[in-house]
Amino acid sequence: MVSFMPSEDQKMIQDMARDFAVNELRPKAHDCDEKDTVPEATLQAGWELGMVNAVIPEKYGGAGMERSAVTGALMAEELAWGDLSMAMALLAPALFAYPVMEFGTDPQKDKYLPKFCGGKYLKATSALVEPYFNFDLSSLKTKAEKKGNGYLINGDKCLVPIGLNAELYLVWASLEGKPGYENVAGFIVEKGAAGLKLGEREKNMGIKALETAELKLENLQVPVENRLGGEAGCDFKRVAALSWVAQTALAAGVARSSFEYGRDYAKERVAFGEPIAHRQAIAFMLAEMGWEVDAARLLGWEAAWKLDVKKPDAFKDAYLAKLYADQMAVWVTDCGLQILGGHGYIREHPVEMWLRNGRGFAAFEGMAIV
Amino acid sequence: MKVLVCMKQTPDTEASIKIAADGKGIEEQNIKWIMSPYDEYAVEEAIRIKEKQTGETVVVTVGTDRVVESMRTALAMGIDRGVHCVDPAFLGSDALATAKILASVIKTENPDVVLCGRQAIDLDQAQAPAYLAEILGWPQVYSVAKLELKGNAAVCNRRIEGGEEIVETSLPCVMTCDKGLNEPRYASLPGIMKAKKKEIKKWALAQTGLAETDVGTAGAKVKTLGYLPLPDRPPGKVFKEMETADMVKQVVKLLREEAKVI
Repeated sequence: MVSFMPSEDQKMIQDMARDFAVNELRPKAHDCDEKDTVPEATLQAGWELGMVNAVIPEKYGGAGMERSAVTGALMAEELAWGDLSMAMALLAPALFAYPVMEFGTDPQKDKYLPKFCGGKYLKATSALVEPYFNFDLSSLKTKAEKKGNGYLINGDKCLVPIGLNAELYLVWASLEGKPGYENVAGFIVEKGAAGLKLGEREKNMGIKALETAELKLENLQVPVENRLGGEAGCDFKRVAALSWVAQTALAAGVARSSFEYGRDYAKERVAFGEPIAHRQAIAFMLAEMGWEVDAARLLGWEAAWKLDVKKPDAFKDAYLAKLYADQMAVWVTDCGLQILGGHGYIREHPVEMWLRNGRGFAAFEGMAIV
Repeated sequence: MKVLVCMKQTPDTEASIKIAADGKGIEEQNIKWIMSPYDEYAVEEAIRIKEKQTGETVVVTVGTDRVVESMRTALAMGIDRGVHCVDPAFLGSDALATAKILASVIKTENPDVVLCGRQAIDLDQAQAPAYLAEILGWPQVYSVAKLELKGNAAVCNRRIEGGEEIVETSLPCVMTCDKGLNEPRYASLPGIMKAKKKEIKKWALAQTGLAETDVGTAGAKVKTLGYLPLPDRPPGKVFKEMETADMVKQVVKLLREEAKVI
């Protein structure tokens, strides 16, 4: 039977992430959202705490902490409770580092992992989502064609976190052949590569503080040694599942912030002679919000645990968790706003920001990997 | 430079405290326990001293098994090792008995500086450090907001009413740390991982050289008779179905005569 008791390490990591969210993220969230920017100092502070690189093996300069999707989920929820944009910016380098750590060839690991173990936040990311209404992870329209001693990549990407300023990109593309997750490959691309055309910064409804951008890949030549995992490739289904679990945790964090804010407001706000929390319409709504957040979190934990112990049905569970979390995040953050009534629609309260941020989960895909 | 930190585990500042059924303590179940916030300044300062001057840092705690969690936090922040004073005989120790236990560790460890928090945020006694200094025969500087070590001496800025007092003391000494001394760091992920492997030595009555009657309930000079909760706030008064002018008159009258605030 699965235990819900976090290990001593997990508890301390969760406590640290919670303190960090309370002191460093939540107080800055409103301003960052207004100014469309994430403070470098905050990213640097998170980096120095080892949020990304603690799990990199010691031989590459990391701390060699055991990598666990469950631990990652605990940390991601707390950070997202503080602020989703900053949480995603803090974790974005993992989008590149973790697949390389898990599936990279030895030369790829030797070359790239030590870069993540320096003292300075490394801007690295992945380019996965594509600007098509029928975007499908298992059938990417970005194509990688084998040409001589390398690959020729063509296609469009969008919602690439820190897309305009990253030093390293992990570009996902379909190989020739029949569609399917097995046919998706990752390619390591460095900043300034010919054929990597940076587009505009996207103007998003939510996660406004996080820079996301469109990329055009025009005859981007990638040497064969830069294909993630070499000719053997990687297990893209696992990469996707890890991403879904992380997004589920982030969604639980955003939704929890709105639930807690609404709950506390409802206990204090007096209308018709008593706190509105005493009114059934509000009390039932709060109860439902509470269980929805818990449900999504538990689905995410189960899938994360299955990924950690490599259960074959982890992929399915991760997908279900993400699907549930997508809807939960919109519903709960909408209720959070509704509890505040007209006040909730005003930007002075954070609930409208959480609704805009929570709405994103159903729209973006694969933006965080834990 | 060897720095020893005396740390106490207390309920979280946001914990809701309920008095136990027997009135002799608080309900300890379902409470989140943390390192007393003033002790965090002591831990941080110890780590900074070591980073500047090399040396060793040790954290010492008196308490049951649950305090180990807070000791691990100190180790994860960067303290080198811990000494956990744990013995059934220690239960019920007052500040003086606790100081005796801590002093027994300090006599063995022989540090240059002992740092404590200004006070623990649960009982707010701020007594143990003074007892400790007295037992050891060392100087004590209370409420340090700035600290500079100079060879075998320390220059401290102390918080006093309306300003700061600058004092110099010889080492070894006991100092209590106040808010503003530093900004305690977060435990990093690598730090958390390393903390598991750091030593926490157990220190029982036999090691202290004290008698059973010196410590615990038996040794406590102060007997706690009971705990009382804060009285409930009286409900507010609501005035309605009156002319506004009359309401104002009534409120002003009560503010003057009953609340006596104007």
